[in-house]
Amino acid sequence: MTTPLLKIKNLYASVDNKEIIKGLNLTINEGEVHAIMGPNGAGKSSLSYVLSGKDGYEVTSGEILFKGKNLLELNTEDRARNGLFLSLQYPTEIPGVTVSNFLKHSLNAIRKYKNQEELDTLQFMKHLKTEAQKLNINQDMLKRFVNVGFSGGEKKRFETLQMALLKPDFSILDEIDSGLDIDALKIVSEGVNSLRTQKNAFLLITHYQRLLSHITPDVIHIFADGHIVKTGDKSLALELEEHGYTNFIKEEK
Amino acid sequence: MNKIPLIEDIELFLDDKPSVYAIRENAKQLLAEKKYPTSKKESWKYTNITPIINSNFSPKIHCDCNNDSCTCTKNHCSCDNEKSTFIDIKFCKGRLHIEEYNTPKGLTIKSLAEVLYEDEYKKYLLKSFDISKNPFTLLNTAYLEQGICIIVEKNTVLTSPLNIIYNQNNCDNTQINIHNLVILENNSNLEIIEHFSSNNSNSYLSNIVNEIYLKENSHLNHYKIQKESSKGFHIAYNSIKLYKNSSYKQFYYSNGAQISRNENLINLEDENANAEIYSAYRAKTNSTTDITTNINHKSAHTTSNQIAKAILETNSTANFVGKIHISPLSIKTSGNQLHKALYLSDNATLNCKPELEIYADDVKCSHGATCGQIDKDQLFYLTSRGISKEDAINILTSAHLDEIFALIPNQQIKELYFI
Repeated sequence: MTTPLLKIKNLYASVDNKEIIKGLNLTINEGEVHAIMGPNGAGKSSLSYVLSGKDGYEVTSGEILFKGKNLLELNTEDRARNGLFLSLQYPTEIPGVTVSNFLKHSLNAIRKYKNQEELDTLQFMKHLKTEAQKLNINQDMLKRFVNVGFSGGEKKRFETLQMALLKPDFSILDEIDSGLDIDALKIVSEGVNSLRTQKNAFLLITHYQRLLSHITPDVIHIFADGHIVKTGDKSLALELEEHGYTNFIKEEK
Repeated sequence: MNKIPLIEDIELFLDDKPSVYAIRENAKQLLAEKKYPTSKKESWKYTNITPIINSNFSPKIHCDCNNDSCTCTKNHCSCDNEKSTFIDIKFCKGRLHIEEYNTPKGLTIKSLAEVLYEDEYKKYLLKSFDISKNPFTLLNTAYLEQGICIIVEKNTVLTSPLNIIYNQNNCDNTQINIHNLVILENNSNLEIIEHFSSNNSNSYLSNIVNEIYLKENSHLNHYKIQKESSKGFHIAYNSIKLYKNSSYKQFYYSNGAQISRNENLINLEDENANAEIYSAYRAKTNSTTDITTNINHKSAHTTSNQIAKAILETNSTANFVGKIHISPLSIKTSGNQLHKALYLSDNATLNCKPELEIYADDVKCSHGATCGQIDKDQLFYLTSRGISKEDAINILTSAHLDEIFALIPNQQIKELYFI
C-alpha cells in the first residue's frame, strides 16, 4: 500500500498580494519521483518557496499535509528538521561561512531535533569527507565559502551533497539541471538516483525532458497559471518536447 | 576649588617620591582646569561620557586576595590551559599580580611602580603623547602607579606571546587606572594579547593607557579582546611611536561594556614605518562603542591601513573616527580606512567620520564606509537547512567579522580568542 508523504489540497497562495498558486491539488507518495514542468512564470519556483515557508509567501487557503502533519504550522527550520529539503535554482552565496561549518550546523540542528546525538567536529568531518568522496567532490570545496565562486556544476553538486548528508524524506529540486553541462548533469543525476529509496520522494521542477531521461519520474505534471493542468506518465515529457505547452494550456481553457 | 569628578584624595600605594608626586599633581590640576568634555568638543562629539563621570567611581581598590593564593586569577579565562606557551601577566581588580616571570632571553618584564623611579625610563614615560588632550589620560596620570613595563632587547625574536589578563571581577564602583610601557629595541619582535573580562555585571571604569615604542626594524602584533561587563566602561588610549622600518598591527575585538572607547595615536616617525589597525566589534543593545584613531604620517614612504567591521544591535551607537594627517615631507605615503557595518535593527546609530589632512603631493589615501542588513536570502538558505533563525543570524554576523579575524597571523591566538 502506498503512503502519502505530501498532500496538497486546494492550495491558494500569494506574494505581495499577487495570487501565484491557484487551487493546487497534489499528492506524492513514499518512493515516488514527480516532475513538474511548465512555462516560465507559471509559479513553479513559488510553489517550492511556499512549501519551504519562505517569508513573504502567504498561503491564503487550502491545506498541506506532510507526513500527516500540518506543514503550514511549522516555520522554515522545522520543516527542514522534519525532512523537507529545497534545492534552489540559484543557491545562495554566503561569504565568510565555510561549507563544512555550514553543514555541521545544519546536520547537528536536525540531529538535535530528532533527539540524536550531535556530532563533534572530528566525527562530522569524517562523515562529510566520506559523502563528498561518493559524489566526486574535491576536499578543497569543503573549506571554501558557501557557493562563493562555485561554478554552476559545483553549486548543484554541493546541493546534492547536502541531500546526501541530511537525508531528507522529501526533496524539491528546483531546476537542478540549470547551468549544468552534460557531464555535470550526469554526475548530479547519478547522485540523486543513488539517494532514492522506498521511503523518500522527490519533486523535480524542470523545463527540459533531458533531465527526465537521467532521473526517471513516476508522474509528470504540467503546471500553468498556478495549478496543475495535466498529469501523466513519462511519455508526457516527450509530447511536450515536441508540441510545447500551448496545446495543454489551450486544452484546459 | 571644586571637587573634580572621579578624583579623590587618597593615599596611593607607594611612598610618593617628589618627581612622581609632581606628575600626578600636574595631571590633577590640568583636569580641574579643562574639565570633562561635552558633546560640543569635536573629539568627543558622539560619545557621551556623562554616565561615566556621574558614576563617581572610587580609585580605592579593595583587593583582598594575596598574590600567592589569589583565586580570582584562576579559571577566569577559558584559554588558561596547561599547553599554553603564553607568558601570562595578570591584573586583578586593577592591581598587578607580580609572579615569577619565566622570561626568555632578551625579554624583561617589570612593574610600572619599579620603573617610575628609574631614570632610564624617563625619556619614554608620558613622552609619546600630550596627556592634557584627553581627560582620561589625565585621570590615568593622576593615579599613575599600576602597570607593566615590557622591554624587548635588540635582535630578540620572541615566539611566546605575552598575555596580559585584566580580570575585572568584583570591581563594582571602582575605577582602574593602568599605564603600560612597551619598548621594542632594534630588530626585535613581540606579540601581545590584552584580554579584558568580568564574570559578573558590575559597574566600573577600566582606564588603560599603553605607550609603545617601536625602534628600527621592530615588529609588534597587538591583540586586544574587550569583553568587559555589560555595565562596565572601557576607555583605552594607545600611543604608538614607530621608527624606521618598524611595523605595528592591532587586532581589536570589542564585545562588551556599556561605553567603550579604543583610541589610537599612531606616529609614523621615520621612513617605511607601517601601522595597521583592524577592528571587529559588536555594538550591544543600548551600548556605545567608539573607535578613534589618529595617524600622523611624518615621513616619506610610511603606510597605514584601518579596517573596521561592525555589528549593530538595537539602540546601539557606534562611532568610528579616523584621522590621517600627512605632513608636507611625507611623499609616497599611503593611508587607507574602511568601515563596514551590519545592522541588526532599524534603531541603531553609526557615526563614521573620516578626517584626511593631506599636506603633501604624491600620496595615496582612501576612505570608505558601507552598511547593510542581514541578507534575507542568506537567512532563508540557512534556515531551510534546519538551522534556527537565531543561530543563522549568529553565523552570518560572525561571517561578517571573520574578514577581520582572517587577517590574524597567529592561528593559535585566533582560535583561542577570536573565533
